[in-house]
Amino acid sequence: MIPFNFQYSKPQTIQEAVRQFYEYNRENKKAFYFSGGTELITLGRLNLVYADAVIDLKGIHEYSSIFFYENYLVIGGGATLTAIEEANVFPLLGKTASEIADRTSRNKITIGGNICGQIFYREAILPLLISDCLLGISEAGGIVYQPIHKIFNKQIHLKEGEFIFSILIDKMYVTMPFVSIKRRKQWDVGYPLVTVAAIKKENLIRMAVSGVCPFPFRSLEMEKALNEKGLPVEERVETALRSMPGPVLSDVEGSAEYRLFVLKNTMIDAIGELEGERGV
Amino acid sequence: MKNELDYIGKSVIRKDALDKVTGEAKYTNDFQEAGTLHANLLISPYAHANIVSIDFSEVWKIPGIKAVLGDEPYPLVGEEIKDRSPIAYKRVRYHGEPVAVVVAETPIIAKRGVDAIKVSYEPLPVVNSPREAFQQDAPLLHEDMESYEKQERVYPIPNTNIANLNKIRKGNIEQGFMESDVVAEFTISFHPSDHAAMETRCAIAEIRPDGTVIFTTSSQAPFALKKLMKWYFGIEPGRVIVKTPIVGGAYGGKASIQLEVIAYLASKATGGRPVKLFNTREEDMITSPVHIGLDATVKLGATRDGMLKAAEIQYLFDGGAYSDKAVDISRAGAVDCTGPYRIDHVWCNCYCMYTNHPYASAYRGYGHSEVLFAFERTMDVLAEKLSMDPLDLRYKNAILPGDTTPTQVLLDSSRVGNLPLCIKRLKELMKWGEGQINEMDGGKIRVKGACCIWKTSTFDPDATSGVILTFNPDGSINLMSGVVEIGTGTKTVLAQILAERMKIDINMIHVKMLVDTQTVPEHWKTVGSRGTFMAGRAVLAAANDAIRQLKDRAACILRAPAEDLQVGYGKVYVADNPDFSIDIKDLAYGYTFPNGNTIGGQIIVSGNYTIPHMTYIDPETGKGDPGPEWTVGAQGMEVELDTRNYTYKILKAYSVIDIGKVLNEKAALGQVMGAMSMGIAFGGRETFVFDDYGRVLNPQLRTYRPLHYGEQPEYIIEFVETPHLAAPYGARGAGEHGLLGMPAALGNCLSSALGVQLNKLPLVPEQLWRISNEVNQ
Repeated sequence: MIPFNFQYSKPQTIQEAVRQFYEYNRENKKAFYFSGGTELITLGRLNLVYADAVIDLKGIHEYSSIFFYENYLVIGGGATLTAIEEANVFPLLGKTASEIADRTSRNKITIGGNICGQIFYREAILPLLISDCLLGISEAGGIVYQPIHKIFNKQIHLKEGEFIFSILIDKMYVTMPFVSIKRRKQWDVGYPLVTVAAIKKENLIRMAVSGVCPFPFRSLEMEKALNEKGLPVEERVETALRSMPGPVLSDVEGSAEYRLFVLKNTMIDAIGELEGERGV
Repeated sequence: MKNELDYIGKSVIRKDALDKVTGEAKYTNDFQEAGTLHANLLISPYAHANIVSIDFSEVWKIPGIKAVLGDEPYPLVGEEIKDRSPIAYKRVRYHGEPVAVVVAETPIIAKRGVDAIKVSYEPLPVVNSPREAFQQDAPLLHEDMESYEKQERVYPIPNTNIANLNKIRKGNIEQGFMESDVVAEFTISFHPSDHAAMETRCAIAEIRPDGTVIFTTSSQAPFALKKLMKWYFGIEPGRVIVKTPIVGGAYGGKASIQLEVIAYLASKATGGRPVKLFNTREEDMITSPVHIGLDATVKLGATRDGMLKAAEIQYLFDGGAYSDKAVDISRAGAVDCTGPYRIDHVWCNCYCMYTNHPYASAYRGYGHSEVLFAFERTMDVLAEKLSMDPLDLRYKNAILPGDTTPTQVLLDSSRVGNLPLCIKRLKELMKWGEGQINEMDGGKIRVKGACCIWKTSTFDPDATSGVILTFNPDGSINLMSGVVEIGTGTKTVLAQILAERMKIDINMIHVKMLVDTQTVPEHWKTVGSRGTFMAGRAVLAAANDAIRQLKDRAACILRAPAEDLQVGYGKVYVADNPDFSIDIKDLAYGYTFPNGNTIGGQIIVSGNYTIPHMTYIDPETGKGDPGPEWTVGAQGMEVELDTRNYTYKILKAYSVIDIGKVLNEKAALGQVMGAMSMGIAFGGRETFVFDDYGRVLNPQLRTYRPLHYGEQPEYIIEFVETPHLAAPYGARGAGEHGLLGMPAALGNCLSSALGVQLNKLPLVPEQLWRISNEVNQ
C-alpha cells in the first residue's frame, strides 16, 4: 500500500520525457523517472521513497530494446533483467543479472533501474564496469554518450532531468572469458555477501565487486595486484585486499571480517577459473 | 465396487484443491463488506522504553479519520497471565509492539493517520536474551507481576523475569549420576524467529446493536477467542460469533489471540462498526507473536557401555515481552524434556522467561524442535565421549512399551510408536553402515547426521471436538467440523474417514470449510496435530448415529429388523439379501409413501470426542498424564560441506516416522515434507537478527528468508505403522513431526564434519567459520 498519490505520465519520446520532468519541477513537484517500478512499490510503502509524479519511460521507442549496432551491443535502460538473461547476448551480464532478486522481480526490474536504484548492491553494473561501456544519457538536447567511468563513482551521477537511455558495450567484450560468482549468507536466495564479476582481456584480469562495501566498485589498484602473475594467487589476492575503496560492511548478511574471508576465497576462485589450474 | 469405496490410505485429492489452484479461495482479507472501517497500527521502534508523550492532534486534521486509540489503560490480556496491554500504555517492551491504532474510512487514510502521530520515548535498559533475563541484577520487565490476574497452574516468580517455572523430578538425579561413568554437558542457544506464513494475519470485528460481537479472523483458535472474550471483557461466549475462512498457513502463529482484541477495541471506539485490521508483512513478523527462542543446558550421564542414567536439564525459553502462549509452550517442553529414551533419573527446570523480544506464539512442534535441538545435540556429544556410533547409542536407549516418560507416564505399544524400528529403517535408508564421513574431491566432504524425535500434544484435559452431519435430498452428506483448514488437508481426511465408515462415494461428502462458531461445533483449537484424531473420532461417532437412524427408518420399509441391515454404496440393504434395499436419498430426507404419507425428516446427527484420562502435571514433580500418545521417529541428513569456505548443501533429508496408520498417503507425505522444509530453514537460515538494543534488524522477507523452492534437498520419507488404538484406524499425529529433528540432525551432521560441537542456530556458514577458526562474535 503506497500511502501517497502521485501523477503518472507515459511520454513517447525522450524530449517529451525530459520536458515533462522540467514541467513538474517548475510546479515544485517531486518527480522521478520510472521504469520497472519495483522500488516505488517496495520502498514507497515504507515511506522511503516519495514522489508527486512519476514519468514512465517504457513508452519510448527502443528504450527496452537489446540489439547489435555496428561495433556495439546496445541494451536499452528499460530492458528487464529477465529479457537480458533470456537474450543471453552478453553471457557475463546475463549470468550476473540472473542472480539478482527473484524471477518475479526480475520480470519487472530494468537494468537502468538496477544500476541507478537506491538498493546499493546494483550488481548489474559489475559487467558494465569491466567492459568499459558507454552510457547513453538522455537530456534535453538528445542522447549524449559518456564512458561509464566518467559517470560512475560509487553510484551513477546524473544531472537533474537526465536518465540512462541505453548502454553500449564494445562487441569484443561479449565473447571474452568471464566469471560471475555470487556468494550469499546461506544457499541460493538473498543479497550478496560478495558478488564478483571478472573477465580476462589480453591475459589481464579485470574485476568488479559488489556487496563488500555499501557500493559496487572496480579498483584499478586491485586489478594491478591481481595481475602480478609471478606471485602465488593467494598473495596476489591479499595484496589486492589492501586496496579496499571503503569500509567493509557489517550487517545482517554478515560481519566485515567474514565478508573479507568470503571475498578472498571468491577472488581466488575467480582467478582460478580464468587462469586455469596453472595460473597463466 | 467394494475397493472403490475404501478410502483409508488413498491419496484422495483435497476438498479445497480446486479453490486454491484457481486462486479463487477466499481468505479473511478477501472479505470486503461495505461500511467496513480500516485500522492501521503505529508500532514501537524501541525494544524497551517509556512512552513520554503521544500527540494525536495532527491525526484528527486528516479527513476520514474515525477513531484514534492509544495512551489509554485498556484491560490487560494474555493467554494464561494477563500481562499485556493490547495497545501499549506508558511503556513498550518489544520492538514492534502496538503503540496506537488509527481507524479510518480507507486503509490509506488510516496509514496517513498513523504517520501523523508524534510520540516521544525514553529508552530503558534492554534484556536481550533469556540468559540475561535470568541474572539476579537483570532489569525487570514486569515489576507488577504479582498484581496480574492469571489462570491456575501457572507459576511465575515475582521480582524476577520468570513468567513460569515447570519442574520435572523423576527418579533421583544424584543417584543417576552416581551410576554414570561418563557425563556430557552441552549448552545451546538460538533467537526467536518467524513463522512466515503466506497469509499475514487479519481480523475483522463488529459489535451488533444487541451487543453481539462478530469476528472474522485468520485464526487457529476461533473457539478459544469466544472464551477469552469472556475472560478479557466479561462478554458471554454466546454473545461472540467467530468466523474463520480457510487460513493461508498458520504453523502455530495463528493460535494466539492478538489482532482480534485490537479490532474489537477499534470497533467499540466507532460505535460498533466493522473494523478490519490486516497485518503488513513487517507487522506480521515482529508485532504479532513469533517462534520462540531458547537457551539451554543439558547434562547427560551414561554407563561406559552407553546406557543413559541421568539427565539434568535447564531450559530458558525466550518468551519475549509478554507470556501469552509461551507459558504453555514451556510446559510442553518440560513434558517431553528429554529425547525419546528410557532415562530413570530426570531433573529439569523449564523456565519461561520475559525478555525485550517479540513475544512467542506456538510454532509447529510446540517446543519440541527447540528442546530436541538441545537434547539431541548433547546425545551426539555423549556419543563422541563414549566413542560410540550416535545411532547405536540412540537405539540402545530407545524408549519402549513398559518404560516411562519424564512425567512418569507408563507406556504401552498403543501409546508410543516403535522407535527401534524407525532407527533401523533410517540406518538402512541412509546406508549408515557405509560410514558417516566421506571425503570428496576439491576439499569437499559428504557427511551424515541423525537424531530421534518424539512428541505428544498437551491439550487442556477438557479439550473437545464435535462434528455435525446433515443429509441432502440426493443422499449426500454435509460435514461440519470446527477444525480450521490451515493447509493440512485435515478436513479432506475427515471426509475420507466418513466415506470409509459409510461406504459412500467421497464426492457425496461436502465439507464445510468455513468455521462459524455459531453453527459449527467446537474443535478446541486447530493445533498440535490433533485434528484427525479428535475430529476423526467425532466423525465416527456421528457416522454411527447416522447409520443407526438410517437402519431404523429402513427397517419398517424393508420389513426387516434393523440389526439385519447394512448401510453402504448409497443404500440401506438387507445383509443376507441385498436385493431388498432402499436408496439413502429416499430415506435421508424422510421417506414418502406412494400416497404422500411421510415418515421422518432430514437426518441430522452429531458426534463428539474428548480424550479421556488426561491430567494436569504436578507442580513439584511434573508427574501427570498430559497427552494421549507419542509419535516417534528417526531423522537424518546428508550434507556436502566445502571445508575451505564453510558453505554446504543439504543433499538428502530423511524421516522415518511411526504415524500409526497412513490415512492419505500424499497428504501425509506433504505434511512431513513441508515440516522438514521448515525445519531445514529453521536450522540453517531463519532467525531474527537483534542489535544491542533488542531491535529486529531483518523484519522483512528481503533479509529474512524461508526456504525457497529449488533450495530443498531430496526428501526421503518412510512411515512405520504401529496403531494408536484410541485413534481412527490407529493414526497418530503427524502434522508437526517432520520438523522436529531437522535442526538437530543438521547440527549433528555439520559438527561431525567439522570436528567441533556446534551450539547455535541457524547454522549459517559464517557461524561454522567462526567456531572452526575461534573467531569471536
